[in-house]
Amino acid sequence: MNKLKELNLKGHLLTAISYLIPIVCGAGFLIAIGMGFGGTSTDQLVPGEFSIWDVLATMGGAGLGLLPVVIATGISYSIAGKPGIAPGFIIGLTANAIGAGFIGGILGGFLSGYLAISLIKYFKVPKWAKGLMPTLVIPFFTSLIGGLIMVYIIGAPIAAFTSLLTNALESLGSSSLLMFGGVVGLLSGIDYGGPINKTVFAFVLTLQAEGINGPITALQLVNTATPIGFGLAFFIAKLFRKNIYTPVETEALKSAVPMGFINIVEGVIPIVMNDIVRCLIATAVGGAAGGAVSMVLGADATVPFGGVLMLPTMTNPWTGVAALVVNILVTGFTLALIKKHKSEEELSLVTEDDEDDEEDIDLDDIKVM
Amino acid sequence: MKIVGVAACTVGIAHTYIAQEKMENAGKKAGHEIAIETQGTIGTENELSSQQIQEADIVILAADVKIAGRERFEGKRIIQVPTDVAVKSPNKLIKKAEEVLKQKQAQ
Repeated sequence: MNKLKELNLKGHLLTAISYLIPIVCGAGFLIAIGMGFGGTSTDQLVPGEFSIWDVLATMGGAGLGLLPVVIATGISYSIAGKPGIAPGFIIGLTANAIGAGFIGGILGGFLSGYLAISLIKYFKVPKWAKGLMPTLVIPFFTSLIGGLIMVYIIGAPIAAFTSLLTNALESLGSSSLLMFGGVVGLLSGIDYGGPINKTVFAFVLTLQAEGINGPITALQLVNTATPIGFGLAFFIAKLFRKNIYTPVETEALKSAVPMGFINIVEGVIPIVMNDIVRCLIATAVGGAAGGAVSMVLGADATVPFGGVLMLPTMTNPWTGVAALVVNILVTGFTLALIKKHKSEEELSLVTEDDEDDEEDIDLDDIKVM
Repeated sequence: MKIVGVAACTVGIAHTYIAQEKMENAGKKAGHEIAIETQGTIGTENELSSQQIQEADIVILAADVKIAGRERFEGKRIIQVPTDVAVKSPNKLIKKAEEVLKQKQAQ
């Protein structure tokens, strides 16, 4: 287990995803706008035969088509540093060529990174040949070995597995969709943009790279709805003459709700920290409901980020609105119901970050060097 | 003591900055000089100067992803945690840094 931890597989994947997200957003909006106005994404723009919308769609399509390459390059760079970039790029393109897609890109990135780093470590050259390392040895041999492994060994099984997975998901009936959406919603809400959320994100992003937009839409709608639901709870609770937030928390809400509209869930963390269990329950229940509605109705944003900005990129924007409304209402009502009333006395206490309230640090999480 | 650090999360728009704020507040509260650099999607902000790094007693890296310019901290005492820890338990993290430093001085 320790060995596995030292490899830091997840850290490398997350690093690559952090490079990927801006590309997905940029390309996603381009293709959504282009196709929204009737453009098509083509391989080649023949002069005189395209409209501006074709151009936008093509730009976006080209960007999205590069996702396996970007993830491979990102992982390889995270592992091996600068020498990892070139072979990551080539092996990522190879994964694309053999049809191994996004999963192929991920595995290709790890392959490339570890090959590059072991070449750096174990392949010793005499001093006069030092210049050959970055010019010949690493880029050429890493790409050669990694590329051949990709094409002749792992490529075909991954391609088969990917199409199996996408077919299975595309043929899900509505009761399975309900379950699937519920689980995605629950898991993505439950740690407010933390590691669980990001792991689910990596998975649903993989699905989107294969052309299945539903799960990632569900996840992001939940992230959008949760802070808004927390805001709504304030007003619902007022109806019952109940104060559920301290003044400090109300202040936090003022920035958390607008941040929610654009898909940033993290603003509610300070509020959640003060009352973890109740907030978690409300988030999870709302998230499961919203996720399920989103999947069953088939909300399918092409852009996996942006909160309400995702709505226009869906085939049927009202499906996204419906999911959001359900999620916001359920979270809001649940929270207003289960959160305790704060008396005037408690409200006047200015709560400061108290050391005793903090979670103990898990020693496994800390590395001292 | 003097603390420098870097915060960097996956998406680079929220956790990074919450971690920065929490660590700076906790550090100041405990009476330390603290400066945290953020490496978000927008790029590096509040960049640490080489003088700050040189003078620092300890380095705290709160990062979920590979950070840029790690070699700047070569030879320093470094504590590395996921951003999560800095967000949830900043005061305990600072306390941990104090302990680590004490151990070092005892050696």
